[in-house]
Amino acid sequence: MSSAALTVKELHVAYGESKALFGIDMNTQVGEIVACVGRNGAGKTTLLRTIAGFLKPTSGSIIADSTNLVGLKAFAVAGMGIKYVPQDKKVFSQLTVKENLELGSYASGDYNWTPVTDYFPKLKLLMDRKAGHLSGGERQMLMIGRAILGAPKILLVDEPTEGLAPSVVGQLKEVFQDLAKKCTLVIVEQNLPLVCAIADRVYALNNGKIVAELDDRSSIKPEICEQYL
Amino acid sequence: MSAVRWWASLALPFALLALLRVFLPLPFAIEVVLVSIYTIGCSFLFGRVGLISFGQPAYLAVGAYAAAFYFTDFGSNPYIGILIGCAAGAVASLLIGPIFVRLRSDYFALVNLALAVIIYFLMQKALAPLTNGDNGMWFLTSLEPTPLLDLTRPDHFFVFALLVGFLVWAFYKYLDGSIYGACCLGTKINEDKLTFLGYDNFSIRLMAFVIANTTTALAGALYAVYLGFVSPEITSPTRAVDPVVVAILGGAGTLFGPIVGAVAYTGMKDVLSRIFGNWELFIGFLLVVIMLSGEQGIWGTLEPQLKKLIMRKLP
Repeated sequence: MSSAALTVKELHVAYGESKALFGIDMNTQVGEIVACVGRNGAGKTTLLRTIAGFLKPTSGSIIADSTNLVGLKAFAVAGMGIKYVPQDKKVFSQLTVKENLELGSYASGDYNWTPVTDYFPKLKLLMDRKAGHLSGGERQMLMIGRAILGAPKILLVDEPTEGLAPSVVGQLKEVFQDLAKKCTLVIVEQNLPLVCAIADRVYALNNGKIVAELDDRSSIKPEICEQYL
Repeated sequence: MSAVRWWASLALPFALLALLRVFLPLPFAIEVVLVSIYTIGCSFLFGRVGLISFGQPAYLAVGAYAAAFYFTDFGSNPYIGILIGCAAGAVASLLIGPIFVRLRSDYFALVNLALAVIIYFLMQKALAPLTNGDNGMWFLTSLEPTPLLDLTRPDHFFVFALLVGFLVWAFYKYLDGSIYGACCLGTKINEDKLTFLGYDNFSIRLMAFVIANTTTALAGALYAVYLGFVSPEITSPTRAVDPVVVAILGGAGTLFGPIVGAVAYTGMKDVLSRIFGNWELFIGFLLVVIMLSGEQGIWGTLEPQLKKLIMRKLP
């Protein structure tokens, strides 16, 4: 029997006077891949950033490991094993790939890079290269690689395939499917074929509200998801 | 990098600094070493952590006055005076750091400048019965000669300052190559990215603040021992920009930038001030040129060229 990894209840978030999320309810079971889909401005990134502790909700709760994450600093949330991989693919460009991974290792106490290089063998060849000189796909590999150090419990991934070549997207798909055996993934993604291929549960967002929850694999299809966008 | 190469790359610039003593007057050589130590904290904060501080004279004064109070009221051993100056810098940074490092870069710069102004008027007016106001505190003759390196002798003091400088640079070189050094750069580039990994930016900045200002206080205590005199002029707000200028001139955030900047700045001050009354004008023009040519400073521009040259020569 699966247990809850992350439970979001009645979450309201605002940027000053401007409200962004209205009463979001979300349940994620351990080992699930949960996808959030929606148009630009629907509130997907806001939802992930709030879970990661970068935004303080006006009300509601976010429960993981029997702890309410609301009010915790972002670094404390990361310290609990809830890692956020942001959308913009900005790594520490002045540091090498190795130094970027070392930062991840030091923070998590995990110096075993084998899982990272197993998932992304290309990174082995790029260890001494400045991260600023990597391609978009390589940066994404580095960011995900850095985030999985320390065996996170929940991985929050924001638009991981945006602007990437189809071959890299295919590689990421396999990585996410394998990662789901070890942790829970919450992915914000606009690539519906990818979402439908890997997600166990899909939340469709529109104007800051959840307009649909699909938790039956047979109903998670691009044409069905598209209706809610 | 092997341990031998690590230490050799550090020893070479200090050997060159020691040569200054042979070719140039002793006071000039001492001034260069002290200005270098004074500037490295500011350079680290600015270039490595992204915090620009116009308040370094305040921390210099904390170290200098702490040593001066010890020499006038409690003892006469220069080594103990220097240790007390350092400790005062660390304590002061730990007390005010938690408030200051919460501020963003521009406000951080200004609040530090405000601190320098406050310390200046405290030493000049409010605490004048203790500090003798503008007349300063004199203790040159009461300093106790010390064995091995007698710090009351300028030639011995130069050797001591050089050794202290060497250890300070070894520490900063270690920091540069450490995870903490990478975290400092990370907090400068994008603090959110560090937070994703589970780092607390506040702690990183506070630690950098304490390290940098303790080094500055060390320079203040060294000045106190060398001059045997401390006055409010040391924290004058009109000199607040000096360490920033030296850091930029040499190359902020680079390891040896403060030394190169100190040589250039002290040299220009010495040479140009004999010819022109307004020598600062040349520094101003030089800074504009440096900023327009990529903000790398003298060492920041030279270092990659030198590295290329050395790599070509090495088998």
